[in-house]
Amino acid sequence: MAEGGVENINLSVNAGECILLCGRSGCGKTTITKLINGLIPHYFAGELSGSVKVGSLDAFQTPMYQLAEKVGSVFQNPRTQFFNIDVDSEIAFGIENEAVRPDELHQRLDATIDTLKIKPLQGRNIFELSGGEKQKIAFASVYAMNPDVYLLDEPSSNLDMASIYDLKAYLQLLKQQRKTILIAEHRLYYLMDVADRIVYLSEGKIEAIHTPESFCALSGNTRKSMGLRAVDLRCVHPKDKPRREHSVLLEVKDVALHYKKRPIVKNITLKAAKGEIIGVVGCNGTGKTTFLRTLCGLHKDYTGAFLWSGKQQNGKDRMKRSYMVMQDVNYELFADSVGAECSFGIKNPDMELVEKTLSELELIPFREKHPNTLSGGQKQRVAVAVSMICGKELLVFDEPTSGLDFDSMQQVAALIQKLAADKIIFVVTHDYEFICQVCSRIIHFGQGQMTGGIVVSEENEKQIRERIGAVDTLERKD
Amino acid sequence: MTVTIEKKKQFIRFDPRTKIILLVLSMIVATTTPSLLYECVLILLIAGFGSVCGKVRYSLIGSAVFMALYLSTVFYLENSTGTMHTMFTAWLSLVFKVYPGGMLAGIAVSTTRVNEFLSAMNKAHISRKIIIPLAVMLRYIPTIREDWRYIKDAMRLRDVSPSIIGLFTHPGMTVECLYSPLLMAASKAADELAIASVTRGIENPKPRTCLIQIRFRIQDVLIILCFLAVPVASLCC
Repeated sequence: MAEGGVENINLSVNAGECILLCGRSGCGKTTITKLINGLIPHYFAGELSGSVKVGSLDAFQTPMYQLAEKVGSVFQNPRTQFFNIDVDSEIAFGIENEAVRPDELHQRLDATIDTLKIKPLQGRNIFELSGGEKQKIAFASVYAMNPDVYLLDEPSSNLDMASIYDLKAYLQLLKQQRKTILIAEHRLYYLMDVADRIVYLSEGKIEAIHTPESFCALSGNTRKSMGLRAVDLRCVHPKDKPRREHSVLLEVKDVALHYKKRPIVKNITLKAAKGEIIGVVGCNGTGKTTFLRTLCGLHKDYTGAFLWSGKQQNGKDRMKRSYMVMQDVNYELFADSVGAECSFGIKNPDMELVEKTLSELELIPFREKHPNTLSGGQKQRVAVAVSMICGKELLVFDEPTSGLDFDSMQQVAALIQKLAADKIIFVVTHDYEFICQVCSRIIHFGQGQMTGGIVVSEENEKQIRERIGAVDTLERKD
Repeated sequence: MTVTIEKKKQFIRFDPRTKIILLVLSMIVATTTPSLLYECVLILLIAGFGSVCGKVRYSLIGSAVFMALYLSTVFYLENSTGTMHTMFTAWLSLVFKVYPGGMLAGIAVSTTRVNEFLSAMNKAHISRKIIIPLAVMLRYIPTIREDWRYIKDAMRLRDVSPSIIGLFTHPGMTVECLYSPLLMAASKAADELAIASVTRGIENPKPRTCLIQIRFRIQDVLIILCFLAVPVASLCC
């Protein structure tokens, strides 16, 4: 069976029920959502048998625009879900398609904005919104259409903690309105008091259907062997990391960042040694990315100094030393095969080093393949291989675990820990589980400031939670 | 040509259908005009149109570049001969055919909202099979700019210069760096955009309504008359 295919799926969902679909990447959870909103077979073709009914409609026979009035879908990537430039038009997009009368359009728009509490976003340009805000607009556009069934496909993948709690509040609102909800998701913890039934899929089949109680009762090891993420963040604790004694290599002295002449962050002072994995946390739009781009020599509008083993470094020097593994790795893969990618742009590539790196990262079998035929995790490894061959000493990872199941997260964690042996690593992430496991300390961005250096260890758990915004779960349940 | 996302409020809004009529008119003028003087008038009209739409800076730069090309043609190329002369005349005559259309298209694309466009096309009774791909394209243009920022970063970290100089010193590599990620990003984004729109019923055959009322107003009639005057004048004189 092809990856993502499903077979023998029998599932009936009652009106007003909330179903969580979970399982490893490629287990077929997204496929199930596509069967319900009609994307399969209307948009994606394939071998198909059986039937899907939404209310009285046969999903395979009904045209998509009719299904769209009953089934609303929210997707993973906030960047490519909106069709208009301004917020108001976007929220009205669905109801405009339904040909709702113009006077009613405005009424419904206002009602949606009120209920979802997004007044501050009204009239803004969507391109300037953060990922979390974009996702709210995508949700609002579907909400305005007032469907009976809501489908959400990994809606939290690109969100920070605060936005995830907002998303959860929306789901609770839908439940009060007795709407039917289906969510395919890797992050499970925020859904435990929302979901009524939890469907676990494995290799395209339904393995088990749990209630939240029986699901939470699964032991940690069972859950991990199922490839699932934490169900309760209160049970995830920071691990003490072995202390490595290295001398300070990188020093950031009183750096202030500007963007289009506006100051963003001031007084950044930081020291780092090889072997450190520094988690960079804080809400979207607080200057994390700008700081790391400055660190790599890509952003030039700053004051202050960067020192590498005591010597002042200009932008060019830093660019030579550093590499960024982007959230969307596709942007940094240029060549037509993995092998060519590794020596791309290097005048006299050291073939022995290429060979060694490829085998170290288990990429030998893919050497002749086009990078775009690889999975997300494999692409990430190719990018890392490039950085190793170029001899980069400072690596920046931008949300390396967004949308990953437990197994893949584990692999990324192992890879980063291995790399850290002789490098300095920065990781931008909102993933509390990942931070606990990998990072040696965290720095936090917010309110125009960087507060630095909370060592990730058991005794600092409370502080770490506060910084990441993972307190909400604690308070809600206690 | 820069295509910017509409930021400021427009001073005057035009019906998207008007913009398409203007585009057709200016292409007719550019290809049939007997003298470059008419094109100058056309560029001035386009700049005026751009300015009332709120694209003042774009219009100024656009017309300044055109004037520079025009003046160099009139004062320099008319009096010279030889290979350079032939080369430049051939190139410039092509540029003059395309320039007005390109400049106006830039203004039209950056000032038209997707929903306006959809409703206007709907009113003009154009098939959905044509409208939807065009709308996806219109929406996709601003994302290229975002993509370009990421690709530029990636190129610089790989020691490939994302500049005009780089294009001349390592043409093959620079082009490869550009098109392969851009194509990948484009195909993925276009796919996801299409999915997001079909799941919200863009294919609905009912006549689409719109938050912003679309209709021909007095300003539409006036601007079309202005643009119409140019080909009429060139025919009469």
